[in-house]
Amino acid sequence: MSSRILDRRDFLRVLGIGGAAATLAGCGNTSIESGKELVMSYVQPEDFVVPGVGVYYASTCTQCGSGCGIMGRVREGRILKLEGNPQSLISAGKICGLGQAGVQVHYNPDRLRTPLMREGDTLKPVSWEKAQASLNSRLGPASTLAGNQIAFLTGEISGHQKVMVEALLESFGSDNHVVYDALSTVTGRAASKAVIGESLPVLKIDQARMILSFGNDFLGSGVSPVYMAAQYARFRKAPRGTLVQIEPRMTLTGANADRWYAIKPGTEGVFALGLAHALLAHESYAHSLPAELEAALKPYDKDTVSEVTGVHAEAIPHLAGMLWEKSPSLVLSGPSAEGHVRGFNNAAAIQLLNLILNNRGRSLLGSAVHPFPQLVSATGSYSALVKLNQDMSAGRVQTLLLVGTNPVFTAPTFLPFANNLSKVPFKVAFVTQLDETAHQCDLVLPLLSPLEDFGTHVASYQPSGVEVQIQQPLMEKLYPETRGFGDILLELVKLRRPEVYKAFPDYYSYLKTAVTKAKPVFKATTGDDEFWEDALRSGVLRLDLPAAALESKEGASVVQVDTPRVLDTDVHYPFFFVPSVRADLRDGRHANLPWLQESPDPLTTVVWDSWVDIHPKTANEMQIREGDILEVQSATGSMRAKAYLFPGIQPDTVSMPLGQGHTAYGRYADGMGVNPFKLFDPMFDEKTGELALYATRVIIKKTGENALVVKDEGPTSLQQNRKLVATIGADQAQLAKENAHVTE
Amino acid sequence: MSLSNLIKNWSSLRVRRPYEGQYKGKDYKWAMVIDLDACTGCNACTTACYAENNLPVVGKESFAKGQAMHWIRIERYWGPGDHMTEEFPQRGAQFLPMLCQQCEAAPCEVVCPVGATHHTPDGLNSQVYNRCIGSRYCSANCPYKVRYFNWWQYPERAWPNPLELQLNPDVTVRSKGVMEKCTFCVQRLTEAKNRARTENRLVADGEVTTACAQACPTSAITFGNLANEKSTVAKMWQAHQIKLASDVQEKDDTVRGYRIFEDLRTYPSIVYLEQVRDLEA
Ligand code: SF4
Ligand code: SF4
Ligand code: SF4
Repeated sequence: MSSRILDRRDFLRVLGIGGAAATLAGCGNTSIESGKELVMSYVQPEDFVVPGVGVYYASTCTQCGSGCGIMGRVREGRILKLEGNPQSLISAGKICGLGQAGVQVHYNPDRLRTPLMREGDTLKPVSWEKAQASLNSRLGPASTLAGNQIAFLTGEISGHQKVMVEALLESFGSDNHVVYDALSTVTGRAASKAVIGESLPVLKIDQARMILSFGNDFLGSGVSPVYMAAQYARFRKAPRGTLVQIEPRMTLTGANADRWYAIKPGTEGVFALGLAHALLAHESYAHSLPAELEAALKPYDKDTVSEVTGVHAEAIPHLAGMLWEKSPSLVLSGPSAEGHVRGFNNAAAIQLLNLILNNRGRSLLGSAVHPFPQLVSATGSYSALVKLNQDMSAGRVQTLLLVGTNPVFTAPTFLPFANNLSKVPFKVAFVTQLDETAHQCDLVLPLLSPLEDFGTHVASYQPSGVEVQIQQPLMEKLYPETRGFGDILLELVKLRRPEVYKAFPDYYSYLKTAVTKAKPVFKATTGDDEFWEDALRSGVLRLDLPAAALESKEGASVVQVDTPRVLDTDVHYPFFFVPSVRADLRDGRHANLPWLQESPDPLTTVVWDSWVDIHPKTANEMQIREGDILEVQSATGSMRAKAYLFPGIQPDTVSMPLGQGHTAYGRYADGMGVNPFKLFDPMFDEKTGELALYATRVIIKKTGENALVVKDEGPTSLQQNRKLVATIGADQAQLAKENAHVTE
Repeated sequence: MSLSNLIKNWSSLRVRRPYEGQYKGKDYKWAMVIDLDACTGCNACTTACYAENNLPVVGKESFAKGQAMHWIRIERYWGPGDHMTEEFPQRGAQFLPMLCQQCEAAPCEVVCPVGATHHTPDGLNSQVYNRCIGSRYCSANCPYKVRYFNWWQYPERAWPNPLELQLNPDVTVRSKGVMEKCTFCVQRLTEAKNRARTENRLVADGEVTTACAQACPTSAITFGNLANEKSTVAKMWQAHQIKLASDVQEKDDTVRGYRIFEDLRTYPSIVYLEQVRDLEA
């Protein structure tokens, strides 16, 4: 290989790659749709494409809403691997396993390659012309749809794709954009907003000397796990911060805690108030709350709290002592504390601790105000789906468009979503692969994969300043009959609003225009083309803005303090049931990716399956062994899975992972395990109306059958004195000295 | 290696390794440090390895038979001893990224009847696929259980079209009957070394890293050249008072570095840093 070639590749690497080649590929790509320009094949050696040499292009990961900047390694026109983009503040050059598996969305053998149209009971492949004609006749200028008769159901969505969705709806006079998230975070956000002043405040994990987390899985399935992991790594350097986790079932974050406490599900608020009561005993913190609130906390003495929560009574003074000493601290609430009838109140009580400990302005900051509110991520909720379900049931929805969500799989049994969906005369799903919901639609449109498409994204969690993330194709599309989401929508709005949109031959040109228009906001002095190419090259537009101050009107006053009461026992359903959310499978949307199916669950090491976590002590009492097939029955539903003896769980609680149990999501997902979404009881947060995912009670029955639990763990879960993972006390380790030696 | 070559270099091949100063003045000795206090057990590294090294997904049935091909895996433990002392794992879990330790005195090498696994001059334990006859002695002799055997013709089943388009062209797709294991992403090392050589220099610290280290969100894995005393990895080995050629380390109590199964005298190239816990919490 000549050094000239290598130099050039180096040059590309230094630049962060992208630029000319990417733009050309993009034009070529979209030109195929518009038929106006010369079609350029990506595999024709263009500038910068050297056979045998990988080049890197910047883009944005769309596997979750965190907006990590990524770099795709492309060789001979094929995308091979994704890495983190060092220029992205969020990913800082890192990437999670879920993000890595993005290439398997793209190359999935079960990708949908042509449009499908319903004929009686089946979906039949049709040409794009036919699909487009059907769309145009329903949604074109001649459409009789008016107002909210047309609805768009999406998952979390941001950037110009969101703008397009809303523009299309608006052209009908509709504002029926329904944003559904099966793992809704609305309750926690509402409590944070009320008490702290912002729903997703900036968490300065690296600044905290102690983190007390009530089920917040910030290292695993939480918001922006890659960014949080980097912060966590700094938190663990000298002076090393202490992490305490309290939750009914150990999360990945809990597994990294210095101290882990098991708590009865739903009693987190009581524990928090007990801790608040204890904290006020210190003179520096006394009177940090309104007098009536302070008085109301009287009954929350450690013994009462211990009786209610099942946590050792001494834990409370112990934690209070640590929190007094390690300041600033950071107190976090998470899904397992929030998913209850009193979930809002639990979260508010937890946030109250941040107020008492004066963490606001120190480890908790306000996020900057985004200059483009129309691009900001739309947060999904469960109540949005309930409302849509009512509208469908009453015949108010004539046309439903769906993208990025699979409610037939995730909606609970008592919400007859699938039934009501059939009452909508025209349902269109935009997917890269058929799933349970798309199967019930009338028209299914095959999308470009996220690695073939253009887009912009705004992460829901903005750790500092604001960013707009750019997504660009990393390769030419695999299938001629697939189209970009933005392109399909643009074609439709063009028919309805030609005066506004006819200037844009494709979504690419629309995006380029929209992004370059924002140039002044980013204080760029370059020309339009240069600005755009820079954006593509770096994959991100960023603006350093000061953090807003955190203030709340309501503050401590939203916290309701009732007399602490021991939870009723339910003779029919003696166990608490909590789901576990895997960082890779999430709500099940990633169960079609073989790398993730074969990637062991970090806590149990189980692969390709569902299981029931049960505490060894409870298992022993019930004479349950690993692999015994258990029937888990709630008032709503029942399902079978193998027992896995798991010590990180409260002994009156059993748990099952979400994400498995698909029936129509391709070869890697179908038939693997069961779907616990169908087990949930109709329990709702009394304040927000969100489904309480952690409030179901169940009974466990042995079926007498047993099967092998397929897992990576060997015959022992203990080290057997082999010094595999040695542990040293924090007071003994000399982290500062270690660090000095390496950086000197 | 041809027979004439073997005979010619007999004395150098028969040296007992490692010995002190073995890599002194040499260009490369690849090594790693894994900080178990930073590792969260997230599995980003393991997935990155699948992507980089063409590891086949074997499926549930084969996995059940222990035929998984994960060159790096995350082991999870609930305690140091042989029984749990508490009702709950109240200090969390212990996660251990386990991969080939690139032993300097590799027990796998000496038992290979055909020399398919051997040592490279830059200190890697390498595996020559087309020399391997599948005796699996090496796997039996590896104390870390990090060798993986191709029980099936995975190219026929693991990458249904178009998944095969993702395969890394720099890495061989292995066929049935051969042994494989972590290579420290040798294809990346080779590329970096070639580039450096063309430019008449050595690979600089941080210029090349393994796929697992690159992905790791907490930067728990540090990879580099131990022969370069100024590399981060070399400084970390020094800071943790680990000597490559010793099997008993003389070090202070407060120092966290250790090598796994050092007493077996495998002289691993990976130093682990002890997990830290605030035991007062
Ligand atoms: S955290 Fe989310 S956005 Fe970031 S790499 Fe992982 S899946 Fe992608
Ligand atoms: S990626 Fe890093 S933190 Fe995650 S399991 Fe691997 S070594 Fe540990
Ligand atoms: S860890 Fe096992 S496979 Fe790797 S060099 Fe050592 S003995 Fe050989």
